Amino acid sequence: MGVLGPGLISRRSFNAALGGAGAALRGFGRQSGKVKVIDAHSHLSHHSSPRWAERDRQLIDAADALGIDQLICSILGPRRPAVPEDFRQSNDWVAEAARRYPGRILGYCFVNPGYAKEAREEIARCIEKLGFVGIKLYNDYLASEPVVWPVVEQAIQLRVPILHHAGHTYWLSPPQPRISDGGTFAELARRYPEAIIICAHIAGGGDWEWTVKALRNAPNVCIDISGSVVDEGTVEMAVRIMGADRVLFGCDMSMTASVGRIRSADISETDRAKILSGNIERILARRRA
Amino acid sequence: MIDVSAHLGHYAFRRLRHNTAAGLVRLMDRFGISRAVVASAASITYRNPQSGNEEVASEVEAQRSRLIPFAVLSPVYAGWEDDLKICSEQFGMRGVRLYPGWHNFKLSDPRCRDLVNAAAARGMVVSIPVRVEDRRQQGWLVDIPDVDPDEIAGLIRACPKARFIVQNAGGLSGSALGRKDGGLPENYAVDLGRLSVEFGNEIGRLLTVLGEDRLLFGTGIPFHYPGPALVKLEMLRAPDAVKEKIRSKNAERWLGLAGG
Repeated sequence: MGVLGPGLISRRSFNAALGGAGAALRGFGRQSGKVKVIDAHSHLSHHSSPRWAERDRQLIDAADALGIDQLICSILGPRRPAVPEDFRQSNDWVAEAARRYPGRILGYCFVNPGYAKEAREEIARCIEKLGFVGIKLYNDYLASEPVVWPVVEQAIQLRVPILHHAGHTYWLSPPQPRISDGGTFAELARRYPEAIIICAHIAGGGDWEWTVKALRNAPNVCIDISGSVVDEGTVEMAVRIMGADRVLFGCDMSMTASVGRIRSADISETDRAKILSGNIERILARRRA
Repeated sequence: MIDVSAHLGHYAFRRLRHNTAAGLVRLMDRFGISRAVVASAASITYRNPQSGNEEVASEVEAQRSRLIPFAVLSPVYAGWEDDLKICSEQFGMRGVRLYPGWHNFKLSDPRCRDLVNAAAARGMVVSIPVRVEDRRQQGWLVDIPDVDPDEIAGLIRACPKARFIVQNAGGLSGSALGRKDGGLPENYAVDLGRLSVEFGNEIGRLLTVLGEDRLLFGTGIPFHYPGPALVKLEMLRAPDAVKEKIRSKNAERWLGLAGG
């Protein structure tokens, strides 16, 4: 258990305390080798922070402690909107981290679709040369805007998913005027039914009930369960409305929240295993097929 | 394990599950939680919070060994003195929960200090949830910010004879509540439900600042999943004896329960 000191509740005793729900959680984690756990939404530290290396180490230590085998990461810079020089550098740092922590870090290629030529070249570089497994888009544009379409078409061609920042709030939208929500992704999904879109952080993107309902009829949109909000019932509703095959485990750096959320969720063990890794592995396998 | 941050009843803006006494106890059993402090979720938005207290008093009757009822009161709603008396003497409630943002009063209001001192005179603990819902979640009818930790600090300073629980708080390190030099009496405890452990280790830092006797276990069930608080405790680097205090011993002492 790596960083875990003496006196901790062992995973076994914690799971025992979960009773019925815990039975299937035994084996959750990399030590047991039974259920692989992939964090489909993570971030490494931007190197403008003098503590970036220490923070990346903390991320891996936390993943070790919590039984997370792999983290699919991007780096978003502080400058908005991101310019090509920024996103190229961020992606280089992700590639370095993947080399530093072999087998633990996978990469999302972050681009700003507004720089069409540069974004296209960067996606090709990251996916085809650096071995990144997906594309990360933030809030530079709504996901449904035509400027984003070439990126989506390239993702389809490369058979990789797009993890897209998202939120549906009623009070806090002005700072992010182009934030996408479940409705935006449903619209994009209708236009591109071959694309695989991941709606980010259902537990950190405002009204999650709205988001799940908006995505009910968008079969090529998945959600990740990351975020700091730990509302009871979030995962259960997503599984009930969208189906377990479209729900992905992720933390977005809220690691105890997200591990606690998936451990607590009142769902079948088959569904839990799909969420923890099965679904994202199926998505990533499309690239290799 | 004692959870100091639980609720019963309906919430106006989202359907809660496990929100009856029997349902909550079943949930607690699944996660190894032996006892929980509960207060009315409905009273957060009822104009007259006493109606929710009556519901809770009736609901917990069959689960007295597991559920510890608190009253939700507002110092600016008529008759709180009578309600406090009823909650304490008839309903056996061991504390009071305050929602200043939702009930439209300031913690610095002299009427709030009166309520806190009256509760303290009855031996009741005063619990202040910093947040009910993340602001990103809030619907179009309400926009209630978190309670300012500095306002809580002001109340704590003004009422040194009271005992407080600061509930569902995060980011306390920047306020007097989380600093050694905060100049506050040691009459408050903090639940770990929303404190960080994996990055920044706020729980570890509060252990240093407050000491090992003033951190409490709290989940926020049934608003919240119980797992995240359990995982925080699991990840916390601290000796077994300290964790045992956080799990139950501190709450037993703070709430005046047998065994504490």
